[in-house]
Amino acid sequence: MKNDLLTGALVRLAAFDPQTMAEALSRWGRDSEYWRLLASDPARLHSTKATREWLEKELDKEPPLFYMFSIRTLDDDRLVGEIGLDGVEWSHGESFVGISLGERQDWGKGYGTDAMRVILRYAFTELNLARVSLDVFEYNPRAIRSYVKTGFKVEGRARQFLNRDGRRWDLIFMGILQDEWLNQEL
Amino acid sequence: MNNELLTGDLIRLTAEDPQIYAETFSRWGRDSEYTRLLDNDPARMPSITKTKEWFEKFSEKEQVNETFFLVRSLEGNTLIGFVGLFGIEWNHGDAWVGIGIGDRQYWGKGYGTDAMRVILRYAFTELNLHRITLGVFEYNSRAIRSYEKAGFIIEGRFRQQLHREGRHWDEIMMGILREEWMENEK
Repeated sequence: MKNDLLTGALVRLAAFDPQTMAEALSRWGRDSEYWRLLASDPARLHSTKATREWLEKELDKEPPLFYMFSIRTLDDDRLVGEIGLDGVEWSHGESFVGISLGERQDWGKGYGTDAMRVILRYAFTELNLARVSLDVFEYNPRAIRSYVKTGFKVEGRARQFLNRDGRRWDLIFMGILQDEWLNQEL
Repeated sequence: MNNELLTGDLIRLTAEDPQIYAETFSRWGRDSEYTRLLDNDPARMPSITKTKEWFEKFSEKEQVNETFFLVRSLEGNTLIGFVGLFGIEWNHGDAWVGIGIGDRQYWGKGYGTDAMRVILRYAFTELNLHRITLGVFEYNSRAIRSYEKAGFIIEGRFRQQLHREGRHWDEIMMGILREEWMENEK
């Protein structure tokens, strides 16, 4: 039995403190590239205060629909991102997952892949979900490679879902089943 | 120029008083077959008061990102269902569509397909959206046929997204682009 549930090879999942995360998220959100890889709504600037108020309201909801964590590096305990399961449907045993790494210097180093491995272990062996889904933008090949590495399969694409930089891009749907995850991990 | 934008061959789209809405929706919501075809929430018994409160709050909101209609049959002027566009993303020109025909007497007779045709015309020629997306459950083959008739194409499937009747079922993702819709309408 593995009890070190929230620690990976490079990162650990840590608490999601509203004040710390509001400061980090409003700082990260000022990088429009970060925003465009993360979200489909127009890039905007959010204050720390507005972000904290929004987070506190979301985190207070009962029962919790969000299982949110911050991502910290194991070697120097630096805050590098956030990850969470949202929209858990208990009757069907499934959820969506969302992840972001805030600082460009931390991209492409395996932190995201490692954090995703940890949250999948949490989803499949602690929450006992049967499936985890995500969607990702066609123009984010680094993320797609990372998700494929952790075991996600492409399940479909909503053609021309996004309009950015003067052209249209697909929204790619991915998913992983608990069986698939257990087979690759054990 | 067609100014009868909200009228089809068999139905028209209307707005209703919250009391009528609440009585009708809570009646339909007590039919578990209807709710299992409609969404993934566990079937429950909705109360008229709660439904009315929700609808009044919903109606007061400025509906920037959603448009919601009720559906009445042209013959007999019976309230038979609803259709709406949700999660409209103006910057990308896309939205999700949801539809439900609550009165079983009107299943399998073309009313839903007609309502979908009317809302697609509204989406593509009034809101000038570029694409419409929907999700439908694998076990709802009548709906899938209807969506295909209205021009939707299957774009993917979330494998084993649902757990009902002791087994897993896929959620099928469908989409239609404005250019495809215009080609169909010629």
